[in-house]
Amino acid sequence: MDFIPIISTLRRHRATALLVILEIAFTCAIVCNAVFLIRERLANMNRPSGVAEEEVVQVILTGIGQKADPDVITRQDLVALRSIPGVKAVVSTNQIPFGGSAWTTSISTIADDPNAPVHVARYLGGGGIVRTFGLHLVAGRDFSSTEIVEARRVDETPTPCVIITQALAERMFPGEAALGKGIYMGKTRVPIIGIVERLERPNEFGGLSERGLAIITPEEISYTEGSNYILRVDPAQRAAVISAIEPTLRGVDPNRLILDRLPFGDVRQKYFKQDRAMAWLLGVVVITLLVVTALGVVGLASFWVQQRTRQIGVRRALGATRGDILRYFQTENFILATAGIVLGMVLAYAINMWMMDKYQVGRLPASFLPIGAGLLWLLGQIAVLGPALRASAIPPAIATRSV
Amino acid sequence: MFAYDLDLARRSLRRNPGLTLLMIVAIGFGVGASMTTLTVLHVLSADPIPGKSQKLHNVQLDPREADGYIMGQEPANQLTRSDAEALLRDHKADRQAIMTGGSVAVEPQRPGLSPLRIRGRWTSTEFFPMFDVPFLTGSGWTADDDTAHARVAVISKPLAEKLFGSIDVVGFTMRMESTEIRVIGVIDDWHPEPHFFDLSMGAYNVNEQLYVPWTTSRDLKLGHDGEMTCWGEEKGDQLDAGAPCIWIQYWVELASDAKAAAYYDYLVNYSLEQFRKGRYRRPPNVRLRTVTDWLDSENVVPSDAKLQTWVALSFLVVCLVNTVGLLLTKFLRRSAEIGVRRALGASRGAIFTQLLVEASMIGVGGGAFGLLLAWLGLWAVRHQPTNYSALAELDLPMLGATFAIALGSSLLAGVFPAWRGCQIAPALQLKSH
Amino acid sequence: MLQMKDVSKVYRTEMVETHAVRDLTLEVRAGEFVAVTGPSGSGKTTFLNIAGLLEDLSGGEYKLDGVDVKGLDDRTRSKLRNEKIGFVFQSFNLIPDLNLFDNVDVPLRYRKLARGERHKRIETALERVGLASRKRHYPAELSGGQQQRVAIARAIAGEPTLLLADEPTGNLDSQMAREVMQLLEDLNAQGTIVVIVTHDPEIAARAHRNIHIVDGVASDVERAPSLSQAV
Repeated sequence: MDFIPIISTLRRHRATALLVILEIAFTCAIVCNAVFLIRERLANMNRPSGVAEEEVVQVILTGIGQKADPDVITRQDLVALRSIPGVKAVVSTNQIPFGGSAWTTSISTIADDPNAPVHVARYLGGGGIVRTFGLHLVAGRDFSSTEIVEARRVDETPTPCVIITQALAERMFPGEAALGKGIYMGKTRVPIIGIVERLERPNEFGGLSERGLAIITPEEISYTEGSNYILRVDPAQRAAVISAIEPTLRGVDPNRLILDRLPFGDVRQKYFKQDRAMAWLLGVVVITLLVVTALGVVGLASFWVQQRTRQIGVRRALGATRGDILRYFQTENFILATAGIVLGMVLAYAINMWMMDKYQVGRLPASFLPIGAGLLWLLGQIAVLGPALRASAIPPAIATRSV
Repeated sequence: MFAYDLDLARRSLRRNPGLTLLMIVAIGFGVGASMTTLTVLHVLSADPIPGKSQKLHNVQLDPREADGYIMGQEPANQLTRSDAEALLRDHKADRQAIMTGGSVAVEPQRPGLSPLRIRGRWTSTEFFPMFDVPFLTGSGWTADDDTAHARVAVISKPLAEKLFGSIDVVGFTMRMESTEIRVIGVIDDWHPEPHFFDLSMGAYNVNEQLYVPWTTSRDLKLGHDGEMTCWGEEKGDQLDAGAPCIWIQYWVELASDAKAAAYYDYLVNYSLEQFRKGRYRRPPNVRLRTVTDWLDSENVVPSDAKLQTWVALSFLVVCLVNTVGLLLTKFLRRSAEIGVRRALGASRGAIFTQLLVEASMIGVGGGAFGLLLAWLGLWAVRHQPTNYSALAELDLPMLGATFAIALGSSLLAGVFPAWRGCQIAPALQLKSH
Repeated sequence: MLQMKDVSKVYRTEMVETHAVRDLTLEVRAGEFVAVTGPSGSGKTTFLNIAGLLEDLSGGEYKLDGVDVKGLDDRTRSKLRNEKIGFVFQSFNLIPDLNLFDNVDVPLRYRKLARGERHKRIETALERVGLASRKRHYPAELSGGQQQRVAIARAIAGEPTLLLADEPTGNLDSQMAREVMQLLEDLNAQGTIVVIVTHDPEIAARAHRNIHIVDGVASDVERAPSLSQAV
């Protein structure tokens, strides 16, 4: 198929050709970025938390009025909850991955670091965090019973040791083994006795660069300060456990508010609702955009066919087959689509770079190029099929008719 | 002439209903998507307290450590307790209020109701006049109440109805965190969006129901909700007067620019004084921002809302390009008729206007359809589980904006096709070539 | 009324320069009925387009009713066209989705006339061509001859000084052609200048005067006495 005569014909209908090219280009740019955003959001929503999600249940509670011995009540609570059939472990703590509100602290590799300490999420909970969350230790060990600091002694006892996440180990001691080294909280050096594979933070306020940076310290915390009891349960008995929580806690001390009991799946669901909504919106936009563009191509192609009815008749009279006419229009569309795709890809990457700067998204992967191109080529060809078939049906007798 | 053009436009659009519908739908989708996201953005960036937003100022100081200080960086976004209480004692502004938020347990007296967790604000007497808080019954507390650590509270209408079943409850007592508190005022539905005076609890849908004097709240050791940042060695109670922690907001009302400048100087002097005393480790770094500037500097509008708006607007652009193409084909198909009209004496301007009127009719149709889609879109947003979803409603300005955008974009789309149409030579195309 | 002196029109494409008319000099005076003849490609159509202000001239001078048209802007040309010239085309060129009344209305709309005045003129024009009773009908419901008569009504509704007709009987059978020619002669008798472009010698014979254009150049040809006797 000769491209040159087709291109020169298109140059004489510059305006409409340009419109098709622009439309395909914009659609390409928007669809590529939208699909990429959807992918990023979905990946974000599905990223693992590090905890045993099927088994973890969060209880949020608060006391009423000042308590005389909150740590005593806490201990009683934990014993009572542990005795519910199906509960494997319990801990009183201050936060949970994807929980929303966070406790953070600054740590560093050197004492009294004046510059850029690392902000990490700090999980408290005596010795129970690793076991109850179901975290996976990749190096070292969990806290021993002598290292646990009781709630009432927290103010006077320095943190004896710390467990950190693998992400944090790689950030602070790149390429080295972190076990045995120490982190500095202010002036105090705290030795690292264990590294867990992953423990996500409750929220993303530190941005992408601070993702996954967390430490666990062995101080106990009572429920009035931490507001969280985390249970690790047998998944088969989860429903029964959840319904037993409130009566059990009331049995220990009725004078408080149990605000929520959530299986971890619900915690995750709540946290990522924004991402879900965004993914939906983008999905709708992508589909509508493709439909609108396809219809636009159909409209313009039909117009061209109508304008060139006479020429088509003449060509047929001179010996072109129906297939020749069909192929002519499909080739023409292919050329326009190619121009549109090239322009669109440039636009797509430009938009992506702008979004990387303003909205913290990743870089558009190169694989989008062939996939996006293929999709738009296909769309164009399908859209032009109707008008092209109509063109091929034009009878050669048109050539001899006047006016 | 306009009526004639309208009539011609109507006929022309009716001749090819499929194409007309396609163009209306395309513009409608673009307009609908754009208006949905723009309305959300408009609602999120609205002035929460019009009329006073230029008189109310937020105070920012910088009591943090010397480490990590860079010249010109933003100061802390909240105050320490000792700074806030000192400013309150000095009382240098027309009006001022110390405040922070917390959650407490409230036990209804009515039998059969379990305790509720209520969000409250611990503040001082001038809060109510400063923010024009509307009272249904009773009033706020006085400066004497503040000094006396009075056990009083102002509650919201929903809380009054929940606790007592009525709003005529001034003088009634309620049980809060195991303490008896006397209700001295009930306020009407009042929740400025965004919750500008304390953004650390989230910017929208904060729903505070209870107001207690600051001094009282410290007596009763009521808890704190929101952001708290501490520095230095961690020891002692973070809520104590001397703790190196920022968790308190401080707002002042200043009637004129001159007074604002004077107060700014006062803050600088205060910081210098603290620096000399050794409490502050950084040179004076203060901000005194109006409500609008404060919301701006805190980037209140969620980035997702902005991103969605960009997506919708670029969608509109594609729909416009689409419409340009379709209008072009529509007009060029009528070259014969246009040629005749030109031959019969229509100037290029007359044809241009005629075609543009036709494009604007599409705009009106697209605007109506877009309005319907925007209404549906906002309905969907209201059912999204975000904090600001309840606010997503079309108000009158946005309604007008819908038609303005639809009409404007269809006119814009129509300019090139109308220009091409009016370039058609008079009657030259009537003879077959 | 219509004065052309040394008018030329050049069409330029990338490759070729075509002189459609060159040194065209002719004059049409008030009350005349002129036929412009010549073989196809001779420049008759170009002459018509220039005379009717549909195209601009490349060189020379053209005065219409004393007004020099060179360099006039589009607005003025359109106005002149609208007020002074009536067109009748070979393929009628009525607007299909307007009825007869609205079709005749079209040129009047570009003239800022009051509604009553417009309606009066339309009625008058349609009566002159004998189609007033069918004013609400659409062109598709009419025969070729009737359509052409409507086109003539449209051309005269504005009371132009000059009527330009391009092969007005080209698409009509002989009976209808006679009717249309009769109508044009009646109009001429009532004072309108009529210029018909035609290649049909029988049509040309009915005019007072013929102008013959060959290869872009005009020459006046008085009607041969033999033909005038035949009519």
